[in-house]
Amino acid sequence: MQRPALLLLALFLLGALLYPLARVVALGAGPGFFEVLADPYYWGRLLWSLEYGLVSAAAVLVLAVPLAYGLGYAFPGRAAWVALAGVPFVLPTLVVAAGFLALVGPRGLLGINLVGTPLVLVWASVFYNLGFAARILHGLLARAGQELEAAARTLGAGPFRAFLRVTLPVLSPGLLAAGGLTFIYTFASFGVPLLLGGYRYATLEVEIYRLLAFELDFPRASALVLWQVAVLAATSLGYLWAGRRIAGGLAVGEPKALPPKGRWLLAGALWGGLLLLLLPLFALFAASLAAPEGFGLGNYRRLLAPEASYFAPSLTQALSNTLRFSFAALLLALPAGLFYALAARGGGVLVEVLGLLPLFVSPVSLGVGYLLAYPGLRASAFLLVLAYATLGYPLLARALVPALRGISEELLGAAATLGAGPWRRLVRVELPLVRPALLAGSALALGSAIGEFGATLLLVRPEWATLTVAIYERLGKPGLANYGEAMAMSVVLALVSGVLFFAFARGAELG
Amino acid sequence: MRKKLLAIGLLALGLSLGQAEELRVLTHSSFALSKALIQKFERETGIKLRFIEGGDAGETLNKAILTKDAPIADVLFGVDNTFLSRALEAGIFEPYVSPEVRNLRSETILDPTLHAIPVDYGYVALNYDKDYFKDQPLPTTFAKLADPKFARLLVVENPATSSPGLAFLLATVSAFGEDGYLEFWARLRDGGVRVAKGWSEAYFAAFTRYGGDRPLVVSYTTSPAAEVYFSEGKYKEPHTGNLLFPKSSFFQVEFVGILKGTKHRKAAERFVDWLLSKEVQEDIPLNMWVFPARRDARLPEVFRFAEVPTQPAKLAPDAIARNRERWIRAWTAVVLKGQDPRNAR
Repeated sequence: MQRPALLLLALFLLGALLYPLARVVALGAGPGFFEVLADPYYWGRLLWSLEYGLVSAAAVLVLAVPLAYGLGYAFPGRAAWVALAGVPFVLPTLVVAAGFLALVGPRGLLGINLVGTPLVLVWASVFYNLGFAARILHGLLARAGQELEAAARTLGAGPFRAFLRVTLPVLSPGLLAAGGLTFIYTFASFGVPLLLGGYRYATLEVEIYRLLAFELDFPRASALVLWQVAVLAATSLGYLWAGRRIAGGLAVGEPKALPPKGRWLLAGALWGGLLLLLLPLFALFAASLAAPEGFGLGNYRRLLAPEASYFAPSLTQALSNTLRFSFAALLLALPAGLFYALAARGGGVLVEVLGLLPLFVSPVSLGVGYLLAYPGLRASAFLLVLAYATLGYPLLARALVPALRGISEELLGAAATLGAGPWRRLVRVELPLVRPALLAGSALALGSAIGEFGATLLLVRPEWATLTVAIYERLGKPGLANYGEAMAMSVVLALVSGVLFFAFARGAELG
Repeated sequence: MRKKLLAIGLLALGLSLGQAEELRVLTHSSFALSKALIQKFERETGIKLRFIEGGDAGETLNKAILTKDAPIADVLFGVDNTFLSRALEAGIFEPYVSPEVRNLRSETILDPTLHAIPVDYGYVALNYDKDYFKDQPLPTTFAKLADPKFARLLVVENPATSSPGLAFLLATVSAFGEDGYLEFWARLRDGGVRVAKGWSEAYFAAFTRYGGDRPLVVSYTTSPAAEVYFSEGKYKEPHTGNLLFPKSSFFQVEFVGILKGTKHRKAAERFVDWLLSKEVQEDIPLNMWVFPARRDARLPEVFRFAEVPTQPAKLAPDAIARNRERWIRAWTAVVLKGQDPRNAR
């Protein structure tokens, strides 16, 4: 069973990832490499991307540690708090960018324009990553930290000393993992810096896109992809190493009791903080209701108007494009993720690195690779679907591996004794047993496809505009009507990804 | 009832499959024509038009070049003379000698092989808010624009992302030369010039006439006319003026071309002829705010507020081709990254 699965997976990875990557490497290591190396402008881009990732990771950790402590105690609405804090992480980046535009953009609710400042970029990164960082840290604290700290204090250590000498070492793998993930997501982020960063604060990913879309400069774009892959590979491997030491850290532990006054104080602080964090989403919703013709559903009505527009993709067109491409990608990602999980069940460093490979390759880099590797297929739906599947299958696989490892050897042995071959065992025994994980993983893969923006922008045919592209196009046009429609479309995108995600996740819970 | 609907639907489907030939037209996002004219063309020719927006002018062209082995459209409208060489070098167009070409202004025909056929032209130029400068002096020369007291009043577009931005950068190269243009930009930078991503951000967000704080903006000489037109009778005279110095405006021509490999060559030819017809050419000014390339097209009345500069900057397409990326990169280094002009060249 392992060998054919590995073979099919290798074939998929070869066409969908390795060959395009090899083309980029071959071109990027050529003359463009030295041109880019000699140009201080690109060094500036690299330094800013690193800085952006590091500052964001630090900000996330500083805020996540007190949250993780607070989560250790019981307070009113704790379960709802945990669920809501996870929402930003599953939101498409374009929704987040639109939310910040609605809050602190040129027409923002707060009346201050922060677009084009590093502040809004770091804020957006915190918005994205704070929830899961707090959960990783909370998991570690719940298991060991707080008891140990109490013990240390009984033994005479001051609170600061106890934190420094006991809790911090307990938390350190979690800090590394949460900080590392935040860094990876931020360093290679695209939608938020593209829309909110202006020219000055473009990340490497944005620069690669611009080199290709505006200057058609494959050599330079490929050289920058190499830089980016190198940084991402180093960080991902570090994350893998740290991740081994926090296995199972995402569970929410049993809360400890607090005196009533403390309970309400804690609830106030945590809920207040969460509402503050989710402010961009409220602003987005409000902005979607502010239509040029007055407060109400005007923006949504215009999006649904049957009047055939000659020029802008309508909501129904964009929505059906998004759904078609995403479900097609899921059909491809399912076998890929399953085969990977089957191959990885036995363990082995090579397989694990193979699974992380797509993490090194950002969506825009993947798009560049496809454009280089398959010129005859440019602007075909197939490449777009392939890109979605390649970006999505690792999410599926990561959900499946632990579930598959959990199936007892004896059960499989029994099935074999009863005469079931490996395929039959897979279909009749293993798949039904891992159904919840399969659904949860599919939800993640589907969500990533629905919100995908960077690769889409490079690969999509203009008339097949997806929701993300349609939103981006409207944001680039003048006038209150276009702005309002973009906001309304972002709300629809957030709802679609939210509904699909929760439907699958619910299915997973019911098993 | 449902059966009837189904039958009608099937009939419509059959008709649409059997009859209407679809012509895909790739355009930049500022393309516009009267809907009635488009529908008339479709009715008279039986050709269904499908407009595909590709983004800004440069971005749209790049999409056509990237997909030239499997073209995403039959016709491309909106390549301008700043990007013309890129289109011609990539070989994306088939030549077409339209019978209408003899009616076009000769100075717009920049590609004598007629791979790229001129449709319209205009002038990128500095605009100023007349109300703001009522009791304040305007700059008296192009060079004085970089004085701090004017630089902090100016908003320009980023030449890497915007075609008027690129046209204005080319105008500064033409006016101040290879040796001087970066120093001019460094002075603008130190004086506090603002850079917007595209024209609409500069004009509709940063310009004082639309609620911004910059009374000087890089736009088109037709913008004052557009202002009067869109005020719908509120203004008889524009409150925006053109600030024209020698070589401070840039002559811009937009082209249409038939994309290589089209399976609808005849329909594409009819579309190009139609774009150059008197009727469409006279429809262009009020939709896209540019001048028609056709000599005998009458201009709308409001275009008396659209000036034609006497001394626009003109650069040969091949000079633009050779240096465009280098100029943009040097500009980025000086204006956005704050480098010394001497190191950025």
